[in-house]
Amino acid sequence: MAHLNETLTRIRYRIWPDHVVGEILSKPWMETAIPVLVLVATFAILSWLVPGFFTFAQLSIIAREGGELGFIVLGLSIVIMAGGVDLSVGSIFAVTNFIVLLLMHEYEWSAAPAVAVTILAGMALGAVNGILIGYLRLRAFLTTLITLIIFRAVYEIWTADHATAIAMSLPDSATWDFLGIGLIRGIPVNVWLFAAVALACHVLLTRLRPGWHLMAIGGSRRAAYNAGIAVRRTIALTYVASGGLTAIAAIFFGARLASVGGNIGVGMEVTALTAAVLGGITLGGGRGSVTKAIVGLAIVLIITNGMTAYSASGGAIRMTLAAILVAAAVIDIRWIKNRHRIISSVYVSPDYLYLPPPPSCEAKPGNAWAVNDTLRGVDVIGLGEVEGPEDVILDRNDNLYSGSRHGDIVRFLAPDYKRMEIFAHIGGQPLGLAFDREDNLNVCVGGMGLYQVSPAGEVRKLTDETNRSWTSVNDDSRLRLADDLDIADDGRIFFSEATRRYEMSEYAVDALESRPAGRIICHDPRTGSTRTVIDRLRFPNGISMCDDGQSFLFAQTSAASVSRYWFDGPKKGRIEVLIDNLPGYPDNINKASDGNYWVALVGMRGPALDLAMRMPGFRKRMTQRLPFDEWMFPNINNGCVFKINLEGKVLYSLWDPQGINHPMITSMREHKGWLYLGGLSNNRIGRYKLPESEADPAYVQYARRWGLPT
Amino acid sequence: MIAALRSFRDRLLGRGDAACTVPVFDGVLKPNHALDRATAWAGVSDPADMACDGKRLLVAAGERVLEIDPAEPAQPREVFHASGRITAIAAFAGGIAIGVEGLAVRIHGGRFDGTRWTSACGQPFKCVNAIAANGDTLLVCDASRHNGPEDWQRDLMERRSSGRIVRLDPASGQELLLAEKLAYPFGVAVEPDGSLLFPESWKHRVVRLAPGKHPEPVLENLPGYPSRLVPAQGGGFWLTVFACRTQLVEFILRERKYREIMMATIAPELWPAPQLRPPHSFLEPLQGGGIKQMGVLKPWAPPRSYGLVVRLDAGGRIRRSLHSRVDGSNHGVVAAAAIGQALFCLSVGADAVLRLDAEPAQGDGA
Repeated sequence: MAHLNETLTRIRYRIWPDHVVGEILSKPWMETAIPVLVLVATFAILSWLVPGFFTFAQLSIIAREGGELGFIVLGLSIVIMAGGVDLSVGSIFAVTNFIVLLLMHEYEWSAAPAVAVTILAGMALGAVNGILIGYLRLRAFLTTLITLIIFRAVYEIWTADHATAIAMSLPDSATWDFLGIGLIRGIPVNVWLFAAVALACHVLLTRLRPGWHLMAIGGSRRAAYNAGIAVRRTIALTYVASGGLTAIAAIFFGARLASVGGNIGVGMEVTALTAAVLGGITLGGGRGSVTKAIVGLAIVLIITNGMTAYSASGGAIRMTLAAILVAAAVIDIRWIKNRHRIISSVYVSPDYLYLPPPPSCEAKPGNAWAVNDTLRGVDVIGLGEVEGPEDVILDRNDNLYSGSRHGDIVRFLAPDYKRMEIFAHIGGQPLGLAFDREDNLNVCVGGMGLYQVSPAGEVRKLTDETNRSWTSVNDDSRLRLADDLDIADDGRIFFSEATRRYEMSEYAVDALESRPAGRIICHDPRTGSTRTVIDRLRFPNGISMCDDGQSFLFAQTSAASVSRYWFDGPKKGRIEVLIDNLPGYPDNINKASDGNYWVALVGMRGPALDLAMRMPGFRKRMTQRLPFDEWMFPNINNGCVFKINLEGKVLYSLWDPQGINHPMITSMREHKGWLYLGGLSNNRIGRYKLPESEADPAYVQYARRWGLPT
Repeated sequence: MIAALRSFRDRLLGRGDAACTVPVFDGVLKPNHALDRATAWAGVSDPADMACDGKRLLVAAGERVLEIDPAEPAQPREVFHASGRITAIAAFAGGIAIGVEGLAVRIHGGRFDGTRWTSACGQPFKCVNAIAANGDTLLVCDASRHNGPEDWQRDLMERRSSGRIVRLDPASGQELLLAEKLAYPFGVAVEPDGSLLFPESWKHRVVRLAPGKHPEPVLENLPGYPSRLVPAQGGGFWLTVFACRTQLVEFILRERKYREIMMATIAPELWPAPQLRPPHSFLEPLQGGGIKQMGVLKPWAPPRSYGLVVRLDAGGRIRRSLHSRVDGSNHGVVAAAAIGQALFCLSVGADAVLRLDAEPAQGDGA
């Protein structure tokens, strides 16, 4: 039964891509997707409740109304995104509606100057808000509440005097009538204009400097000020924009209805605010888009028209909108507050991984894995000076190089390695190292990509991206954790990226997932191109060229295996597993002087974790319930170095059993009869004298690789 | 129905019983190095329990009882050899009372020499892991009906609560069941008013049982698993805490399927479960905080094993704590004895009897 269960588990984790959920949720467009879903749902429900409601004629009416309200929503959204709020839009709407009707009906202006003056008037009314809030630093809420009352009072005084005159006369202007009822290609003229303005706003907010300033101010007013943005002016201008856009809405409204009734614009701020917040524009600023505003607008229009068709009263509609506003605001606040937690709790998605029981490391005669204490008494270089030498390498002058967690390449000078100097500063943590024919040091840098350091210490980026894979939700072209490399005879650099899902500091989370999220990439310096050559590997690592010049060895740390890949020759494209089911997790691989290969085991497998690897749900709950420091880990306090031949036979292994001198071994490099040891979380480099019978005392990897005399 | 819903909600949100939180070492439990700085008084291999007859220390080590002089450090002297592993020891009526393999209680020497029990109150002993003398009677902890003393981790992982405490009267032959269905009682002591004090290890608490009353907890929510208690100078008790709780173990205790497969297929010393000895094999599970950074094992790492002894006052409140942290080795303290100004602790992890000053010296931070 347990067996069947496990088979089901394996199939379920092979078929269902758990990690996609987290990746989709962390997409920026997810925040627009939710309002869109609400829109679709509202649409579906209303077409079901009100048969024949969504005919073309009805939609056209809704669109014309939307073309008016839309300008207001757009203006209000801009204000909100900059961190403010404009409650006076309803009153500005009423006043500008009055002004345009006054000019057209009573003073009988022609349409063009009337429209221009009205828009200027709207901007002037907005400027009142803008000056008070932007320059005099009054609270947006109170200020616009006051101007709401004042503008409304002005409107009522003026209409008392002019209502009759406006109602008595009719302007004789074809342009004016066209604004009110005109269609272009069957679609109301104001919808066309709204589309154009919305597109312009979108470009402004996402592509132009003023838009970025505006979003920056909404995100953090103080930071924007410190960054040198003209905060006061920008804020003032948002209210001017809001007033102007409201005036445009009022012009279309006036042209259509020619009404100066008492309730014009009443409650409009609630409708517009509901649309903006429902679309996902956060009250408080810094987040939002034109798309969101339009989606919110569409939802509100459908609801109000649907309720009207259902013969709901205006009060009921406003009450509904207010309720929706509160609900949307609450959801928005909770979402922003918990978004990070929700994503992080679903992002980690462990995979099913079965590893058979590992070979025993008992100290029995004939056991190549027999634990010994050979590495207990090794010489120590740079104790306390070097931090995190993941890989070590020697040049042909015997100088010793390693990375450090400070983002440096450090160099210990031959012959005694007592003096340390900083060879180059890169910034990210250097991992794998390899010299090319021209003595350049090629480096895989965690979080940065593939870099090259010249013999003079100049740092140059080779590549930080590869081709994007078709099946990935996230853009995985950017390199996140390049970790080891080697160079082919023709100069092509093959390097591994351990995972595309996590950063350097989170490598352990990827190990816990054990998902095939890593890849091996080829950078060709002749063309400057970078292509992924092997995908879907479990923490690939330890690239080491074979002598045939057509293949290299690589390790898959999480899968506890070492494989060989042919990139040229008759077997081109083939991958063969050299050895699997290792007793630990392999890391770097490097050539030994006798033609075999050294492999480092960064940590050892244990039965408790091996069992957890077969229970992805268990691991998932573990990541959700426990803090990082409490998670069950591979035992990376203990490791070993072993030698393997190309037939996959393990020859012998070297150990530091309790990890007393070398708690973690991530790499080793043989040089002139010595074996140099590096470790990602160590504060030292080890140096072990190989027995004469097992090592060539003249061996220099550079010379062997590039065939030059030493 | 509501309980089922609540349990579902708890499991979904990690609340209530599903929460794997562990109390922190705070206040009087603030960690120190007192146990690590203690003098190693005598080395003993495979120790299980320690008793004191007022003049000498008696340590149960494997099948032997060793005598240790509390005044002068000297080689331990074997005074008795039992037929099986000794799991509990107490000085009693001029002789000693021992638990053998958890299955029997025997008296050796003194007035009741040769008396022997293999069951009490009609039920055979399974897990005798602590004995205390109370006048002319013996108080015996039979910690589990299911698992012997060696299988204490399995008892924890099976979430058992099947222990009992019995009183044996060798003079009259009377056997009295004092308490049952206990979550691993691992030690018992008598208070001056005659009530009993005993720990329930798996419930992380110490319980008082007054005559004629219901048991009531006096100390709850301990960050570790309490074990034996001995009277301290000036009232109160020394309580040994043989291992500390970790969130990982609490989590695994809520993962039935994992525990079942683990118990069926993996050796107990490799379980993610509390241990008495510091890790010595790379096959043992490691937790994130336990990764050596720059060659240093952090003392705050999640403790797989830990050394902790706390001083309780007469009211059961903690007054002082002695620690051996994760980077130390005097772990798994299962028994203590206070003689004069000295406190002796039996550390399984160090295979040694440790000696400290029972009262804190100025500025030792303990």
